[in-house]
Parts: sequence; C-alpha cells; structure tokens
Amino acid sequence: MSVATASAAPAVGRGKRAQVRVQRFGAFLTGMIMPNLPAFLAWGLITSIFIATGWIPNGILGGFGNADVMGWAGAATQLAKASDGTTFSQYVGLVSPMVTYLLPLLIANAGGRLVYKERAERGGVVASIVVIGMIVGSTVPMFLGAMLVGPAAAWVIKKIDSIWAGKIRPGFEMLVDMFSAGIAGAAMTIGAFFGVAPIVTHLSDWLGSIVNWLANHQLLPVMSLIVEPAKVLFLNNAIGNGVLVPLGAQQVIDKGQSLLFLVEANPGPGFGILLAYMLFGVGAARSTAPGAAIIQAIGGIHEVYFPFVLMKPTLIVAAILGGATGVATNVVFGSGLRGPAAPGSIIAVLAATPRNSYVGVILSVVLSATVSFLIAGVILRASRKRDIEAGSSGDLGAAIAQTAANKGKTSSSLAALAGAQGITSDGAAAVDQQVATLVATGPIRSIIFACDGGMGSSAMGASILRDKLRKAGVPDVTVQFKAVAQLEDGADIVISQRELTDRARRHAPSSRHVSVDNFLSSPAYDEVVAEAKASRETMERSQS
Amino acid sequence: MTDVLTRDRVVAPGAARTKDEAIREAGTLLVNAGAVTPVYVDAMAERERSVSTYMGSYLAIPHGTDEAKSEIVQSALCLVRYDEPIEWGSGQPVRIVVGIAGIGEEHLSILSKIALLFTDPEQVQRVLDAPGADEVFDIIQQVNGV
Repeated sequence: MSVATASAAPAVGRGKRAQVRVQRFGAFLTGMIMPNLPAFLAWGLITSIFIATGWIPNGILGGFGNADVMGWAGAATQLAKASDGTTFSQYVGLVSPMVTYLLPLLIANAGGRLVYKERAERGGVVASIVVIGMIVGSTVPMFLGAMLVGPAAAWVIKKIDSIWAGKIRPGFEMLVDMFSAGIAGAAMTIGAFFGVAPIVTHLSDWLGSIVNWLANHQLLPVMSLIVEPAKVLFLNNAIGNGVLVPLGAQQVIDKGQSLLFLVEANPGPGFGILLAYMLFGVGAARSTAPGAAIIQAIGGIHEVYFPFVLMKPTLIVAAILGGATGVATNVVFGSGLRGPAAPGSIIAVLAATPRNSYVGVILSVVLSATVSFLIAGVILRASRKRDIEAGSSGDLGAAIAQTAANKGKTSSSLAALAGAQGITSDGAAAVDQQVATLVATGPIRSIIFACDGGMGSSAMGASILRDKLRKAGVPDVTVQFKAVAQLEDGADIVISQRELTDRARRHAPSSRHVSVDNFLSSPAYDEVVAEAKASRETMERSQS
Repeated sequence: MTDVLTRDRVVAPGAARTKDEAIREAGTLLVNAGAVTPVYVDAMAERERSVSTYMGSYLAIPHGTDEAKSEIVQSALCLVRYDEPIEWGSGQPVRIVVGIAGIGEEHLSILSKIALLFTDPEQVQRVLDAPGADEVFDIIQQVNGV
C-alpha cells in the first residue's frame, strides 16, 4: 500500500494537496475524538442522572453533597462554601473530575498516539503528562488545549527520540527512553502550565466578552457564531454561566424573562445534528447517535454531541445556523425564559418558560433543530456515498489505504468510519492506528517482529533486518520485536512465524503481516527492505 | 555483556541425539548456571511444541514462553554444538542449539551477534568446522558491527 501511495504523490497538484491537508486534519480530529466517545457518553449519563438538577440527584456521585451530613465515608471531598458563607466538606463526585481530567487526558492520549504512531504508547504517555499541566494551570475545561498540546507534545518527543535513534549502546535504550520522555514530559508540563493554559483561559474570557458586547448591542443571532463553536470546545459553561446567565438575570429583573438563557441552553441545534447522524451517518457514529440524542435533548447534557461535531468540523455551520435560528425566533416572538435552564434539557427549558412564551420558546427549539438537521444532513450526505463504499469493501484497513492512495479522494468521514468500526469491535487503539495510517500515509516507518516469547526468535529477526536496512541505506525505519501477546497495533509491517501470523493479525489488525518460515534467511526480508527503500525514495522525490 | 554467554556454557560436542534431549541439555546448562529454575526448562519444551525455534542454517534457539519469564533469575545464553545433525522438524537439521533465558535487554547484544553470524553461510561453516568449544566461543566473541 505504501508503495502505491507514495508513487501517486508526485501527481498531486497544489490545490488538491491543500484539500488533502484539510481532510487529513479532519481524520486526525476524528482519531482523537472517536475512540473516546464511550467516555463522553459515560460522563453524559452520570451527569444527567446524578447532578443536583438531574433525574436522580445524588450528592455523593454528583459531587454536591455535604460529606459531614451524608456520612458515606472515605470518598474524596473538597472544601466548599455554603450559601451562608460557612465552609463544609463537599464530595468531589464523578462529574467534575471526569470532565476536567479524564476526557482531556483521553483526548490528549489519543492525539499523542496518532502523532507518534511508530511508538503510539510512548506518544500517548508524553501527551498525557503534558496536558495535565494545562488542566491544572487553568479553571477552563481544557479540550481545546488537549487537542493542541497533546499532539504537539508527542511530536516533540518523537523529534527528541530521532536525535539519538540507533546511536545508543545496546542495553541502554530503555534507560535513555525512560529518562528522555520523563524529563521532556516534566519540562513541557511546566511549560504548558505557565505558557499555554493562560492563553486558553484568555481565549475563553475573550469569547465571553464578545458575546457580552453582542448582547448589549442587540446583535443577538450573531452570538451563535461565537457560542456554538465555544460550546463544542467545552467552553459552554464559561460562556453560559459566566456571561449569558448573569446578563439574563439582569433582564429578568427588568422584563420578567430573557432569551439569553436559551442561547446556550437550547437543545435544538445539537439534537438536529444527532438526528442527521441517525439518518445519514455511517457505522458506529450512526448507531451511537440515538442514545446521544436522548442524553442531549432530554438529559440536557449537550456535551455528548460535541464529539460528533469535532470529528466533522464542517458541522459547526449547522450548529451556528441552528442556534441563530433559535435566537431569531425568540427575538421575533419576544419570548424567553424566567431563569436559566440547567441542564439544557427540553424539560428544564419548558419548566423555566413563562406562560406567554410557550409558543416562541417551543418554536425556537423546533426550528433550530430543523435548521441544524437540514444543514447537517446535507453535509453528511455529501460524503455518505464514499463512506459506504469504503465500508462495504470488507477490509477496512485496505479500504482506507486504497482511498488514501487516491489521496484527493481521502475523506475525513472515511476516517470517522474507521473510528466507528474500531469502537464497535474491541480496540480503541485500533482506531487511532487506522486513522493514523491515513494521516501519515506512505512510507514504511516501523516494523515489528513478533514471536511467542519476545526474547529469542523475534530479537534475532529484528537484528538481521536492522542490519539489512542499514546496509541498504534505509536507516530511519524502526525495527522492534515483541511477544505476540504484547503486540500492539500500529506498526506498518508485522513479521512473524507462519504459525503465529493469525494470532499476530488479531493483535494488530491494521498492520500488514508478513509470514516467515526461516528467521535467518527469509526472502521476505529482502522484499521488505526493497519496499522500504523504494517508498523512501519516492517520498523524497515527492518532497523535493 | 560478556556474562550473558560465558565460555563454560559453550559445549561441543553435545550429548543429545533428539530434539527433546537437546532442549533438556541446553536447559540444564541454564539451570546449572543459576539463570533459570527447572520449571523454565519445561516451558522451553512446551514452547517448542507450539512453535518451532528452528531458525535455519543448522541453528535452533529454544527458549521459554512469555509466561515463563518469571522463572528466569538472570539473562543467560548457552550454546551446544552437535557433531551429528539433530532432526528438529522434517528436513530441519540442527547442529547448533542456543538456549536462551532473556529478561530485559542485556542478552540482546549477543543474540544479535549470533543472528548476524548465522546469516552469513561462510561464518556458519566456520562455526560448524571449528575444532572445539574454545574456537566456537572465540568466533562468536569476534562478531562485530551490531
């Protein structure tokens, strides 16, 4: 596949190349988000059920209960201030740690794996280390930060590794590996804490002040242009509670109601997008959408639809226009809410609707859902045929490789499909790697020898191949060896003894597998070396 | 690094006549060196039944399974050369048996040397023709360029 890909490269024109970049970026976002969708859903479920305004409010799990009163001992607590100014120890609960730590860390980890796909585990670890610096360096949820800094951190450690790749005395690789990643990770974490976290905090503040300005200048529907993208980056609470709710409360004092409460809390736009996925999506994204729609519209946890937009960023258009439609409807009908609707569930919205506003509020939800559904439908349909073609060809990895070989035809939704299939099967890691194959199409960069014990045959095979590659003048291919049981997906090629190839394939479904009968002198080695050399030369030609 | 394969663990000629005996012979050398427990030798035999460690070029490298790594005290190699080929599989004559107990990475350097040595038919012939264990040990020590 890599040879075909690489040889197609020189023919790609400039415009097409830019297009490919955009599509690869989309595939990259999908690769970061899609594998973590279950975590988003788990968090959405827990939040919609257990928070103070949830279905079964639970102070211990929801993280608002007074630990001194409730008496469930041993759980993590923090000091909180009660409304009367006294302090009490409050349960930390699941909701806040999951959204603050778990989700950004998972995203960063997936991003790191994608960037450093030759050593995905290492990339993921370093990315996670660094992102924790951002998370605690700010009070704003660090989704944007995780999506930027995670991959960047993995890229840095990849570059650092390449400085001394192949130059370390045998026996010291492990030591150098551990300390280089540890030291670089620690340094970058501090950098993220002081250098990057404040930038995201400021960005959040800045978006809030724009929304504030728009609200004060009666440019209400335009607010959706800021609010919807900010929502998807998990800045919804900063803008909702930080800006819109205080402004809305002001208006309630004057007029008894405010439409500002609905700008962020309107479940319509997200519901429309999920509905479009239910009808026009493919794979797991499609099958996950109905559940997400229920959690979103009735549970009021909008966050579950954010990943659906993040993995196909053009859908933000649907969210913005849907949101703007909702705001405009309320302007026309002069309708609004008596107070904030939290969470943004249709039930909470209706509960906060004054009698004279029912028509306007209900229409604003329905119309915004309709508009975002129609636009999202068009966007999803445009790529659907391609997605299905890719999906029906059976071997997903081959389908992606083939599409990638056509380059210009590469579609981010194709990668969404790859991601989707990865989730329905067992390996989230597989997803990263399949997408990564698409992201970093082309040359052979990593080869893993797999054997039963990971100490003998594969080590020998790896030595021989390394030697052959070096003699052939192809030094930048990493050759590792592993026990089949510890094999991870992601290498470009996995070489194993014939008896073990089936097992190896199960562990590394996206890699190409080569069987050998004779580890010492297999003709397969020379073929692999020749291919690695050819793909490298083609790549160099296309770059120069 | 030299401790992984010492002169006393290079034997020529070996006594075994069959594959099972050869695995036992290599395993016993490792046990006597204090590198593995006797359980590891069973794991070597077990591993051989599931997947052959025949490498080609008259070489087999019996070693334990991944699960048996806990039976390894320290990494060690042993090498036994046989005067008569041992039938490892059908049409797989073996004259050099390298028993491996490997944890960590300290045995990889010597293993790489052996691997590269055995990809060169001339070197293989040198090992097979060497007068005794001393010379075999020397040849392996001389391999460079890993």
